Amino acid sequence: MSREQLAFIAIDRGTATVAASLIVRIAGRWRLAAATAAPASIPDDAVVGRLRTRLVAADPDLATWLDLADEGATADLPPIVSITTRPPEMAVVAATERVLAPLAAIAATAGWRIRPLVLDGAEILPVATALADPRVTVVLAGASEPPGADERALLPDLGAIVAAATERRPDLVTVLAGGLAEPGGRTEQMFRPDRPGPTVLAPSPASGDGEPLRDLLDSLRGGELDGHRSLAAATGTLAEVMGRRVEVLDIGQAAGVRVAAAPIVGHAPAVRAATVASAALLPPAFTDANLDEIMAWLTVPVDRLRARDRLREMALVPWGDAAGEGAQLRLAAAKAAVVRLLAATPRFEAGPGPDLLVATGGAWQVAPGPAVALALADTVRRPGIRAMGWDHARLLAPLGTIEDPDERRAVIADLRDDLLAPLGSVLVAGDLRSGRTTGTMTVRAMANAGSVDEAATVDLDLVAGGLELVDLPPGERAEVEVRFRDAVDLGPRVRHASALVTGGLAGMLVDLRGVPMVLPDRLDERRELLASWQAPLWPGADE
Amino acid sequence: MTAAVPAWLAAIPVRRLLEEGVEARFPLPPGDRPLVEAGQEVAAGDPLLEHLRDRRIDEVDVVRAAGAPAPLPGDRWTTAPGRRRGEDAVEGELLGPVPGRRDRWRLVTGEHRDVVEAPVAGVVTEVRPGAEIRLRSAWPALRAGIAAGSTTHGRLELATDPLGELKPGGIDVGRAGAILVVGSRIDAEALTRARAMGVRGIISASLAGKDLRDFQASEKRQRAALHAAPSFGVLALDGALRHPITPTLMALFTRLEGCPSAILSDPAALAVDTGALADAVLALPPDLVRIRTGVNAGLEGRVVGLAGPRRFAGGVILDAAWIRIGDEEPLDVPLGDLERYA
Repeated sequence: MSREQLAFIAIDRGTATVAASLIVRIAGRWRLAAATAAPASIPDDAVVGRLRTRLVAADPDLATWLDLADEGATADLPPIVSITTRPPEMAVVAATERVLAPLAAIAATAGWRIRPLVLDGAEILPVATALADPRVTVVLAGASEPPGADERALLPDLGAIVAAATERRPDLVTVLAGGLAEPGGRTEQMFRPDRPGPTVLAPSPASGDGEPLRDLLDSLRGGELDGHRSLAAATGTLAEVMGRRVEVLDIGQAAGVRVAAAPIVGHAPAVRAATVASAALLPPAFTDANLDEIMAWLTVPVDRLRARDRLREMALVPWGDAAGEGAQLRLAAAKAAVVRLLAATPRFEAGPGPDLLVATGGAWQVAPGPAVALALADTVRRPGIRAMGWDHARLLAPLGTIEDPDERRAVIADLRDDLLAPLGSVLVAGDLRSGRTTGTMTVRAMANAGSVDEAATVDLDLVAGGLELVDLPPGERAEVEVRFRDAVDLGPRVRHASALVTGGLAGMLVDLRGVPMVLPDRLDERRELLASWQAPLWPGADE
Repeated sequence: MTAAVPAWLAAIPVRRLLEEGVEARFPLPPGDRPLVEAGQEVAAGDPLLEHLRDRRIDEVDVVRAAGAPAPLPGDRWTTAPGRRRGEDAVEGELLGPVPGRRDRWRLVTGEHRDVVEAPVAGVVTEVRPGAEIRLRSAWPALRAGIAAGSTTHGRLELATDPLGELKPGGIDVGRAGAILVVGSRIDAEALTRARAMGVRGIISASLAGKDLRDFQASEKRQRAALHAAPSFGVLALDGALRHPITPTLMALFTRLEGCPSAILSDPAALAVDTGALADAVLALPPDLVRIRTGVNAGLEGRVVGLAGPRRFAGGVILDAAWIRIGDEEPLDVPLGDLERYA
């Protein structure tokens, strides 16, 4: 993309929906002019045509100046495109459960659908059948390094079964990890070197916190324009541009993605990313446990059988039935998916939490911004004070496909105010004693010059177990000071803290509901409580 | 002469009614034997593969004659009969060598073998022993939301009106050999009765999750029985929520009634031999749409135009179109709830 151009198109093509944005250059800066989304079956030119129509209707002068007033004028605009596809399948096979668990946990965060297979106590036929399934394109076989006493007797069988599978399917990519990955070793020699599918020797899951193995497995997925990888690149650049630690939670139909990025002065930002197929809005192997997870977040009374049928329908037509109860069901499914995503990526919890938490992906598309903010507060129970944003136009992933880091930095710097809808800020405190006043909070709005506006000061009593909303509109900032009677967990354990916070669609959420948040076991009581928190943030939800 | 199609109609998802060249997949796990080769033309009812119902692994000595090629996983193998009484020859598929035991191999075999027939005429595009057979259907196919049971074939018959629900008592042996179009939905009891009466398949607009699970459990028990059961398949055109079959689809089924047809499991589809029909294609106006999901699901109407973003129930803002249903005033319907026919 050339900086001399006046406009370009950004397209995020997902498995359920496609999002398109028109980016234009005004007064020397790239700005978001229009954005829309449509079912994935709609061709790009039709979606972009709708964008143009919208621009012409909203600002005909701008459309004329950009030479976009006529039908078909968008055909010449350069596009940047990110694409996400359904995660491919990988069989993960080990001699025992002990060895399988870390292998499967790492593979599950590398963008693969996992079929875990254990030899110990299992019949060989189902294992061989799974390896022969053409949907499985990669097999990851591993052993401890050195092999443990519980697995040694089974390793010859493990090697023989995987080698036999590659004889039957010469194109099957085989990854040998840990104790099986000895170069020129007995296991490697079982595989024909001249077959079309490579045999890859991989590091142990214990090495480098599993990151080298995860990176290797991620690279085997292919996908030049992969939207999950480009999301990681864009998040790194966003962290760099903002000078803040940024965490992005992407929930889509194909997978959930978690990216954490921190700026490093004078260096490229540190970026960690995980793509988790089981954290998709509706996991491919939808189970009763998945249904229970979603039912637990529902704010409307829907019986279990009906909810299952609606979710099945949502899996078939993910863009349909998006109003009314359908929107609430989607948000409940998105919350359940975030919980699965966080559970699958515990290593992200090490170190300081993010300054900015961003929601992105098709799952959030139909809910109003304040409800998305509450969904983030409900599910990300990490103590601290942070801002929240929403990649409402799904711009991050396509922007991440800009290969030149300098160019990407320049475009994201221009677009930083447009690409994230400000949701507000949240304070999450842990280690509170339930049901009593635990302290006070003072919120002082800042005037434009950066000084405190004493006339707009709010004092609050802080009650453990509650959720307080402070009105702080988008674009406003405030100084927040909290004083607790006893030390609480706000990241570090403190009794007194102050911070500058930014406003947004949800204002500021003062969340004293505990870490972890404990909700009633009975579904009706739970639903009532969740609905009472949601009501002020989703007006008209019960229409 | 066809009417001009406005460009903005491209913003509405398309549903193809009869799709050519659909490729059906038939699982061929280790032990099952393909009875066709890639490139072979088959007719409906021709044997496609031999399925082992009681797959097990035996260990056998694979002794080959001098100069014979080395055995490979996936090769068929028959052992020599034993010298002792009752030791018959064992035939099966070599799975892989037993580690540390020279010439000793694992063999997938079984006693009970069923022949799986090709449900449609077509060309075998791929045979992957131990994995799958792919067959490109020569019959056009209508894709569906859910398939259960097995692939099957029979003549297509209408058994009820579009809004109806077929009760168990409404199925008798006179329907044996048919694939029945039964209306909006069917319950598990009616499905098991249909199977018992020799019906080959059921097509409904929807199939509730509970009925699907009950039917799948029943089907599993049926397939585990000692004697082979005739194939029986179920196809839900939309999904799990109750909708009527739309007038356009009903008109299509009426036109196709009596044609040889097949229920495919992967992908879920109804394939129909339209060769005997002068014209199976319906002439449909380009702006005819079906409301696929949402509060008006199951209705058909004509698109008047795109309405832009509109506020719907729950305070949700969605891109919408104006849809005229019959002579009524146009309704705002979210674009995502619509589909056009092609």
